[in-house]
Amino acid sequence: MKKIAIIGFGGAGYNAAREVRRRDAEAVIDVYSDTDTGPYNPMLTTYYVKGAIPYEALFPFGDLKTIQKELNLHVYTNRPVTGLVPEKKKVQFDGGEALYDEILISTGASAVMPPIPGLELPGVFKMRTAQDAVELKRRLDSGEIKSGLVIGASWVGIKIIEDLVEREIPCTLVDGAEWMFYAAAFQETALRVQKDLESKGVQVACGQMLDHIERETDGRLTAVMRGGGRFTAGTVAVCIGVRMNTGFLRDSGIAMNRGVLVDRRMRTNYEGIYAAGDCCEALDIQSGVHRNIGVWFNANRQGAVAGANMAGSSEEFDANVLVNLAHYLDYDFISIGDAAACGPEDEVYEYEDARYYIRAVRSGKAIKCINMTGSADSNGIVKNAFIKAIENPKAELDVRTVCFLQGKGFPDGFINFLGGKSLD
Amino acid sequence: MRHVFVFDQDKCAACSACMMGCLDQNDPDLAAGDQCFRQTFDNEVALEDGSVYCAYISAACMHCADAPCIAACPVGCLSKDPETGFTVYDNTNCIGCKSCAMACPFGAPRYRKSDGRMVKCDGCNIRVKNGLQPACVRACSFGALTCVTEEEYRASGSTKACGALIDQLGLRKK
Repeated sequence: MKKIAIIGFGGAGYNAAREVRRRDAEAVIDVYSDTDTGPYNPMLTTYYVKGAIPYEALFPFGDLKTIQKELNLHVYTNRPVTGLVPEKKKVQFDGGEALYDEILISTGASAVMPPIPGLELPGVFKMRTAQDAVELKRRLDSGEIKSGLVIGASWVGIKIIEDLVEREIPCTLVDGAEWMFYAAAFQETALRVQKDLESKGVQVACGQMLDHIERETDGRLTAVMRGGGRFTAGTVAVCIGVRMNTGFLRDSGIAMNRGVLVDRRMRTNYEGIYAAGDCCEALDIQSGVHRNIGVWFNANRQGAVAGANMAGSSEEFDANVLVNLAHYLDYDFISIGDAAACGPEDEVYEYEDARYYIRAVRSGKAIKCINMTGSADSNGIVKNAFIKAIENPKAELDVRTVCFLQGKGFPDGFINFLGGKSLD
Repeated sequence: MRHVFVFDQDKCAACSACMMGCLDQNDPDLAAGDQCFRQTFDNEVALEDGSVYCAYISAACMHCADAPCIAACPVGCLSKDPETGFTVYDNTNCIGCKSCAMACPFGAPRYRKSDGRMVKCDGCNIRVKNGLQPACVRACSFGALTCVTEEEYRASGSTKACGALIDQLGLRKK
């Protein structure tokens, strides 16, 4: 009888447990969680704040008791793992340790709160956990928030802006980078994104690095920037990124960059130790290097692949490419591929009409990055054309994909850029 | 018994009756910008030898065996119907994030503007469970679009299952 440990119980951990159980009815599955709730999805927090979903929907796989029963798991709640001895497959926790045949590290990531003076002040908050969401919703519902400042044009930051705008609360978005969505968007795209946001009443200021936050005499908070800029609001959201929850692996021998390094089978450098989800860095098929691409789909799929392999199968997680998707205030933006890999020597395709803005870059036949706005219905089609082009740069788009893209109103020039052929 | 949509392009006359059947069954609000779940295409491709390839295509959700939209949905709206094998949905908690559309290589999930929720072809799941054909299949006069059980499909020796398209695109996980 195989004995399996799952450390961390989010989307990756849940899918791993489900896959192990589907393949092995006898396996003992121990789950270590630092909470007492079921697996929740961090991206849903702002939707709960908005009122788009009830609290229960933050837990898409159901409540912990039901999951525990259905999958026959031993769940140790509020028991964070404090150490791992990979060569012995030993899990250590406060007051004990246990040995396993296979171990999955799926501890996820946490919102970063850097050591900047003032971040501890009441009224300054982050957004990652269900509790963060409950607290912000309570404050918004009570009417105590009269104005908001969001620091960090991250994917969470923009959703908090949406929460504020929809409640008609004046708000400002500031970011340290030169332009919005800096890691994913070309400057030309970002300027359009910013213009749209400003047209909806949001003040946007880029190139603003936070120095500290201070309390005004009227009780409001002011974010003071290194360049001297001052932004004042009733509440401040700090959304400057996440940190992978891998501190307990320090000095364990598990190979890491920022996250745990895994191969396509989600294996770490130790036999029998796997990692999946937001805490790991899988192979990016575009660059060939390890990269964390923290999206829900990846966490679920990586967890399922790790679970299958822990149960004795041989599956791979593939098609791992950088994708960033933002949908807010009736506007959508997607970036596919690595914007940072693009240079002035590359070929640029640009198109704009009333529906779409497209900016895409390639070198020879290799597409490096595509930015699009207004394309949400077709993002999957384009993303998969992109993946196909990586796997075989000489391959043309199949006729069906060309038909789909034409049907969605994409110009022939873009279809040709993707490696397609114009149809009559 | 799992069902399979089969599309035989050689029999398709690009009449779009399948699309009309889908419109009639699902009643999307076209005036409000909604789209039909099933789409048809009648493009012509000039080949290098001077001949013309007629790309007559009828496409909706392919009901992939390993549907990527299911794993992509952050609130768990999408699932497989254990009886028919169709990719079905309950959009009660849909947040309109369009993650499903980003995962789908065929553009099947649609965003309904009127309520901000995702909708898609569910294979006419209720009809099939009650022994009827999907509306698009019933409307096809040429036998180009059919829906059969997996057992029937295997016995036919066909390779034209819509769900197999994801293999042709080379996207299925190993």
